[in-house]
Amino acid sequence: MTTLTPVTSRPRALTFGNVWLSVALVAILFIYPFLFGKTLNFGISTLLFAGFAMSWNILGGWAGQTSLGHAALLGIGAYAMTLLATPERLPPFLTSPLAPWWGALVGMVIAVAVAAVWGWLTFRLQGSYFALSSIAVALVIRLVAINAEWTGGAEGLFMPELPKLFGFDLFDRKVEYWLAFGFVVLTLVITHLIRRSRMGYALQAVREDEDGARALGIDPARMKLLAFMLSAALMALGGSLYALYLQAFEPHTILELPLSIQIALLAIIGGRTTIQGPLIGALVLSIFGEVFRNVFSNANLLIYGILILMVTLFAPNGIMGLFQKAGSKLGTAR
Amino acid sequence: MDQVAVTAFFQTLVQGLLTGGLYALIGTGLSLIFGVMKIINFAHGDFLAIGMFITLALFKAFNLDPYLSLLVAAPIGFSLGYVIQRFVLARLGDRLGEGSLLATLGLGLIISNTLLLGFGAQPQSINVPYAINTFKFAGVQVSVSLLIAGLGTVLAISALNLVLYRTELGRAIRATAQNPLGAELQGVKTSNIQAIVFGVGVSFAAIAGVLLMPLLYTFPTVGENYVTKAFIVTVLGGLGNLPGAIAGGLVLGVIESLGAFYVSNNYRDAYGLIAFLLVLLLRPEGLFGKTVKRV
Repeated sequence: MTTLTPVTSRPRALTFGNVWLSVALVAILFIYPFLFGKTLNFGISTLLFAGFAMSWNILGGWAGQTSLGHAALLGIGAYAMTLLATPERLPPFLTSPLAPWWGALVGMVIAVAVAAVWGWLTFRLQGSYFALSSIAVALVIRLVAINAEWTGGAEGLFMPELPKLFGFDLFDRKVEYWLAFGFVVLTLVITHLIRRSRMGYALQAVREDEDGARALGIDPARMKLLAFMLSAALMALGGSLYALYLQAFEPHTILELPLSIQIALLAIIGGRTTIQGPLIGALVLSIFGEVFRNVFSNANLLIYGILILMVTLFAPNGIMGLFQKAGSKLGTAR
Repeated sequence: MDQVAVTAFFQTLVQGLLTGGLYALIGTGLSLIFGVMKIINFAHGDFLAIGMFITLALFKAFNLDPYLSLLVAAPIGFSLGYVIQRFVLARLGDRLGEGSLLATLGLGLIISNTLLLGFGAQPQSINVPYAINTFKFAGVQVSVSLLIAGLGTVLAISALNLVLYRTELGRAIRATAQNPLGAELQGVKTSNIQAIVFGVGVSFAAIAGVLLMPLLYTFPTVGENYVTKAFIVTVLGGLGNLPGAIAGGLVLGVIESLGAFYVSNNYRDAYGLIAFLLVLLLRPEGLFGKTVKRV
């Protein structure tokens, strides 16, 4: 029989609280550049990783499929935008102020296509098998990027000079902050919409009990595939923005397994069954990461390891799960 | 085929089989753990890295012969595995499937980053004269250290087999793998058995690390490269199937060597990955397992 998690059976009042939590988080992110204008780099990377984690979560949280290969989709977005932003590769009528965004769009389309084939092949595998196969698929994509010529090989790519977007310089950190901010708001809104849609309920049913969901007339493979394609599109869009932010990147930084793992862990530590969990996870871990970078230099993933171990052992629903537990205790006390 | 081409083929084959033996050793630990506990150990490559760094540290400090490090690395690996199963994984209870994936990922990050703090990110190697020695057998060149590694693999796996099929402990392990509850009812302390199995699995990874050290550079995240090899080996052979792991290792080594020689060396790692995906999709029970009846 279907076991309902607190998320699916949460009373309506708390769901409204859920929306307010998102609004509050967005408000904090909105005023950030006015308060901490000097640390925009930190703000941008935090926002981008929050967006990655929320995109991952559409598949990893709502559909319950732990992908350890999402960096590949991010990489597709980054490569597509950078390659198509080079004027020589484009017909002249496309080198308008919108030029780089055609590349981002193409990246999203490719990522969706890759996810469709990838998911179609691997969603027959259960649990850890899917996680294993996602590593393999991502590694194959990484090998292509390293060895092909048009990808710039192991040296990677430089973002060329870009036309101004309505007078805004895309290499200006402020502009990049607002783009990343827009990305986070977009993923947050989409997640909220999914949560309340038919698809959202179907996904949660599949996550909790695949056979039960099938008995209700839901096609689990199709649902997972839809979630994966949506997740891939957002991931590729984020990848394009990441390429803008980095300005130069190589396969070793943008397609590597640790990046995939990092993205997944942000969502899981924050709480994968909730909407804001991945956002909270990214905010908390960015701050931790920044603090520990000074202490541990390049061993800053140590904190991820310790936190994921703690979360797995003591708080299986992540940081948001702890909040909810505290919240429901308050609720019953009233 | 002319003589040169034949020799080149056998050269590639021997190279592949010897490398494959090492892959088999790494995969055996992983497969044993899966067979008994039904969990996939994502930190397996990092345990291998521990073996490599123990060898490196002992060589630097005492100029100790790398193969003597086995006497240190194997017990350390065993104790580490025992403690981790007892005090971390055993606590996951009924969340073992997904929980073990995340917990071992976390452990792996802790290990690799601790090694990074202790030893730095620079690739390091040890210099022993016989590591670069080779000898010729029927025109085929064989590296001495690769041969030693191959022999070590055969010894370790044979010892494991003896324990599994000739001792009381082995009976208890097999019983725990088949039916933990039934074994417990027969007086087997399954929690202890599972900790022993995890310990043995980890020590196999550490032993593989020691055997690899004279051949390769090491760095704190070296495990990443090998954990995927271990996954490939176990899936090729069938998860939890020990003879399968040996065969899977040899197959992987040979596929890589032949692909690198006859197709392109740049895609060396891709051949194994593609074979892995194909087997995962078409024959999840592994190349050599009994066909599982599908529902």
